[in-house]
Amino acid sequence: MRVFDLSLGQMLWSRRSVFLGILLGGPVFLAAAVRLIVEMSARGFRINGATASGSAVFGLIMWLLYIRFIIPILGVFFGTSLIADEVDDKTITYLFTRPVPRRAVLLGKYLAYVACTVLLVLPSVILVFFLIVPMGGSTIAGAFPSLVTDLGMLALGLIAYGAVFALVGTRLKRPLIVGLVFAFGWEPAVMLFPGYLKRLTVAYYLQALVNHEMPQDSAASVLLTLFHEVPSVAMSLLGLAVIVAVSLWFAGRAVENREYVLEQ
Amino acid sequence: MTTKTRYFVIASLLVIGVGLGTGMVAYYVGFPAGAFAGRGGPAELDYVPRDATVLAYADVRDVMTSELRQKLRSAVPIPENGQHELEAQTGINIETDIDRIVACLYPQRESTIPGAGMVLMRGRFDAGRIEGLMRDHGGQVEEYKTKRMIVASESHGIPGGSFAVAFVEPGLVAVGSDRVVRMAVDLHQAGNNPNAGVESITGNEELMNLVRSLETGNAWAVGNFDALRSRTRLPENVQNQIPAITWFAVSTHINGGIRGVLRADTRDEEAANNLRDVVRGFLALGKLQAGGRPEIQALMQSLELGGTGKTVALSFDVPLQVFDLIAGMHLKDLPKH
Repeated sequence: MRVFDLSLGQMLWSRRSVFLGILLGGPVFLAAAVRLIVEMSARGFRINGATASGSAVFGLIMWLLYIRFIIPILGVFFGTSLIADEVDDKTITYLFTRPVPRRAVLLGKYLAYVACTVLLVLPSVILVFFLIVPMGGSTIAGAFPSLVTDLGMLALGLIAYGAVFALVGTRLKRPLIVGLVFAFGWEPAVMLFPGYLKRLTVAYYLQALVNHEMPQDSAASVLLTLFHEVPSVAMSLLGLAVIVAVSLWFAGRAVENREYVLEQ
Repeated sequence: MTTKTRYFVIASLLVIGVGLGTGMVAYYVGFPAGAFAGRGGPAELDYVPRDATVLAYADVRDVMTSELRQKLRSAVPIPENGQHELEAQTGINIETDIDRIVACLYPQRESTIPGAGMVLMRGRFDAGRIEGLMRDHGGQVEEYKTKRMIVASESHGIPGGSFAVAFVEPGLVAVGSDRVVRMAVDLHQAGNNPNAGVESITGNEELMNLVRSLETGNAWAVGNFDALRSRTRLPENVQNQIPAITWFAVSTHINGGIRGVLRADTRDEEAANNLRDVVRGFLALGKLQAGGRPEIQALMQSLELGGTGKTVALSFDVPLQVFDLIAGMHLKDLPKH
């Protein structure tokens, strides 16, 4: 609990706060700008000549900004640094000399990551929802069930990506680079092709929980739609649960067994 | 936990709580969308009965003073017999008296002809003159729920029952089938009250969603294609050939040219794809036919097919120059004196 408390404060009020602010304030700012333009313009918000409904625009923002970018990048930056930051700052010794199992230290930090990111992402999504959805004929009431699903899906995404990158952070030497390659190289690439490899990604299970139409903004998106194999909700939840449990267990084991040699 | 962190957690939870709470209230209780966005459409929609099959709106003043109309009027003299007839019958001059109109078609349950309808006109009207002219044409003045109404009997050949004019409120006149006009007065008096059997079209969420999406135009129309189709006695083989359209909508903005969008909502995505294919074919044919005719070429180039899912949209943007070309062609064809 003490590790959780301490880590939450550290995560919120560190250099990353600026990065977090830009990352999560961006969509809100964008949504406010879109809404302002729509309110002022006589033509409304149009996609392919048709006036786009607020729900469709919200779905687009969810896919392009949150699901494909913000959630993986938050997982990479925060997940990989759970232990790596303590090693870099040479403060890991203070934590490991406490009468607390090393596993508990990792778990406390991981829970702080989950709390921090969830408390930042969900309000951002809610603000975007209320700014965007009432445009072009959509209603809050009509789109509310999808918002609830989206919030749950994003929270699950943060939990799963955080666990995977916590494992990367505890086992590998250059976790940030590996994490970025995994999130923005391996995952999108594997999703483009048919076959079983995509089952080794978080995106495969997460995207099955999204109830918005996948945008077809590029050739890659068209391929994604073409090979979009959707597992059932139960299968996705099970897949994500297995990913979290296995990743955290291995990460905990790595922290327990690894000997951290601090550079002088 | 430091005070700063505690404040952050509280603020964040507050945003989540208020957001979810508001959404939940909207979902279960259904508060008016006006809290976040306008109800949509002109205020006159409050007086349109719920079951209207076709709803149309025009900002008459905007259209009448548009650059396009002035240009067309000077280039191609359009006979204004209908306009003069209306003025002779009712004393209403479309050019000067009306700001905007809302029209609706209300299919009678006992008839297959969607004849009953109403036009709500907002503007400046000389009630005495209108009443006098209507009396001269055999109209009877009566009072209905404190509103003055002039009713012309069925013998005047008006489809869908008697014809009536009612002064609903200062600056708002309802003209149309007697039954529908009376319903408009009911709605004005009682408001949208489904429990009392008085329901306005603003309670029709499906139609209002479409209306909100059309508001960018200064003239628009929306209709329930299914309802219209079921009320027309078409042969079965013809019925089967008509695409599975549920709603149709047209929105145009008339000023220095016409831009707008024709929209059709289909029953499923397959029907939408089929309709898109048909329209694409017609567009290709049109472009081929345009040949060396620059006015048609410009018109065809402005057409753009779009829409996603069950929606098929055909947008157009016809600049003033196209009308110049058409007017030029028309003048060329006129016999020289």
